[in-house]
Amino acid sequence: MSRVLITGIGVISAIGWSAAENHIALKNGACGIGLPGYLHSRYAETFPAGEVKITTEELKSKLGLTDASVTRTTALAVHAFNEAISDAALTSNQLTSGSTALIGATTVGGMCLTDELYRDANAVSTDSPFLASYDCSSVFLYVQRHYNIKGLVNTINTACSSSANAIGYGARLIKLGLANKAIVGGAESLSKFTVNGFNALHILSPEICRPFDANRKGLNLGEGAAFLVLEREEDVIGKKVYAEVKGYGNASDAFHSSSLSDDGEGPYAAMQGALASAKLQAADIDFINAHGTATENNDQVEGKAMLRIFSKPPPFASTKSNTGHTLGASGAIEAVYSIFNIANQEIYPALNFTNIDESIGLTPAGVYKKAAIKNVMSNSFGFGGNCTSLIFSKA
Amino acid sequence: MPVNNKLSVIEPGYDDIPKNSLRRMGKSVRIGMGVALAVIKQVPVFNGIIIGTGNGGMEDSIIFLKQVVEYNEGLLTPAHFVQSTSNAVASQLSLASVNRGYNITHVHRGLAFEMAAIDAAMRLLENPEHCFLLGGVDEISGYNYRLEYLDGWYKKEDALIEDLYNTNTPGTIAGEGAVAMMVSNEKENAAARVLSIVTLHSSDPIEVQQHLLDFLEQHNGLDISLLLSGENGDNRTLHFYENAEKLIKNGIPVARFKHMCGEYPTASSFALWLACKLIAGEPLPAHMLKKGDPRAAHKNILIYNCHKNLQHSFIFVSAAD
Repeated sequence: MSRVLITGIGVISAIGWSAAENHIALKNGACGIGLPGYLHSRYAETFPAGEVKITTEELKSKLGLTDASVTRTTALAVHAFNEAISDAALTSNQLTSGSTALIGATTVGGMCLTDELYRDANAVSTDSPFLASYDCSSVFLYVQRHYNIKGLVNTINTACSSSANAIGYGARLIKLGLANKAIVGGAESLSKFTVNGFNALHILSPEICRPFDANRKGLNLGEGAAFLVLEREEDVIGKKVYAEVKGYGNASDAFHSSSLSDDGEGPYAAMQGALASAKLQAADIDFINAHGTATENNDQVEGKAMLRIFSKPPPFASTKSNTGHTLGASGAIEAVYSIFNIANQEIYPALNFTNIDESIGLTPAGVYKKAAIKNVMSNSFGFGGNCTSLIFSKA
Repeated sequence: MPVNNKLSVIEPGYDDIPKNSLRRMGKSVRIGMGVALAVIKQVPVFNGIIIGTGNGGMEDSIIFLKQVVEYNEGLLTPAHFVQSTSNAVASQLSLASVNRGYNITHVHRGLAFEMAAIDAAMRLLENPEHCFLLGGVDEISGYNYRLEYLDGWYKKEDALIEDLYNTNTPGTIAGEGAVAMMVSNEKENAAARVLSIVTLHSSDPIEVQQHLLDFLEQHNGLDISLLLSGENGDNRTLHFYENAEKLIKNGIPVARFKHMCGEYPTASSFALWLACKLIAGEPLPAHMLKKGDPRAAHKNILIYNCHKNLQHSFIFVSAAD
């Protein structure tokens, strides 16, 4: 079974338009969260979010996407996809080969067009260009069509762990010989639909979020996209390699549709599963990119699960106080950030943490520093109890 | 029978689901849970839940959306939002069966079930002693039907089931369904064996033909006894199915199934269920047969399905021995 290596990355988020920009922002402790200026919602005046500062039309124009049916989510996906395949120096033949898979993820899909969907779903007749753009798969069906992808194409939706599972699926396809390359990732855009859904659950914070902090008030939403290009070890001779996809764990918390069990059974099992699949011990993990949404429930439970596994937890941080919670894209965006830890041998400061929550008893990494990073764990825990943990390692 | 060109499921009384939970469930969760819990009753120990759904959650999404718009973003109850996520079936199932194993939902429209099946196959390669609940679920949903109708996928005229395949007009009839199965490496008492699944995105009939030829060559040793075709009465996609019929050996019978379940993204899961029944020895119903002599035994079945002129799958199913 081949080792699965990462040869290209692409990312767009509230803290940068490219991998390089995101990297610098993390190093500098930059926060991209604030009151959204482009989201059409009354809550744009109340809840800060990690917004990509551009209108959908301008983004589409920049990318040369003239198809009226392309949504904001799809445009963000294309932006990150472009960067990743270019970074991996994939040739046209490789991109369109039957052995190159595309595995995407999103939770909102085209429902960012909340008002249009309402109109179309109640229409008697329409010339709407969006009729086939609303579901999750529309994003990656567009990428398939636009780039003429002929290998296996898939879309996954497991709420906040979606793109982490997409990375896992792509890596497994390669490991089991069902694909030679896999372009894996996710995309998500801010939407009236999502902000209202999360508001109805009372888990949005009116301030910039404070993961693991005693005074955390909930999460900020975010948007963005990220892709990784995965290749077999034998195919990357002479290419730059960022890291290896070393471990993948997936488990269900099986407790409640929108909160985690007190003991964190799902997170615990996912992390254990990742370690087992990587053939690593807890002590081998040098850094954890935590899920850390800054909700009361998540951070409490995640902290507990971490302490169940790590008798001495390594440095950890949630990057959601930089970017907001990018939902379906978070697994992939945070995978890219984990790769930065490894490629640059450094850790970035957790933002907005001031007071330790005694009931959790954990303090995230406070400052930027160089560090010997061999293995990074990245966690994503979604609604419905879908818990996923990935481990990336120095190749 | 279709009503307004929709073939709806006939729902049983759900004895395995508590009434107050049932009340809160969207249709796709209800029908998905219904079939899955019945399977779990037979095989209570399993290692995870793998679901494919194209439209799962759409109805609840649009109901929630309606509230957002009509209440001008006032404070809403989250019930429909929580039910609106595509992974609602898989996660509710994990709750009901207290299964903390692998849990995932594939939503790639006309290949959602195939992607779920491939996921299950990978899990079994990774863990040969495990078994998994694999399912395909989709509901018609009033709102989603409207969107698909406006996009031209359903018949504009009322279609009688008996004439579905002879209409020579664009569009098909809407369907819905839930299929659940337990999959493992255990041959004993297995209903069938899925040998191969190949998928393709293409609107080019020549490319599709080539893929099918390659697929048939790969399985040269196998004696196909039946082509189970996803032909659905839409005259725009008929040519794909007719080409497939031309490529298999002369005399091999061709059967169709979409008049039974209607068209929906995970309809191939219904075809797989049918294939299992046929392999178990059930006679091929006359209304399914398009051409050829139905043989007594159907040991090797090729399922070919095409969704919306773009997503194709070939699934090879045989007897387990």
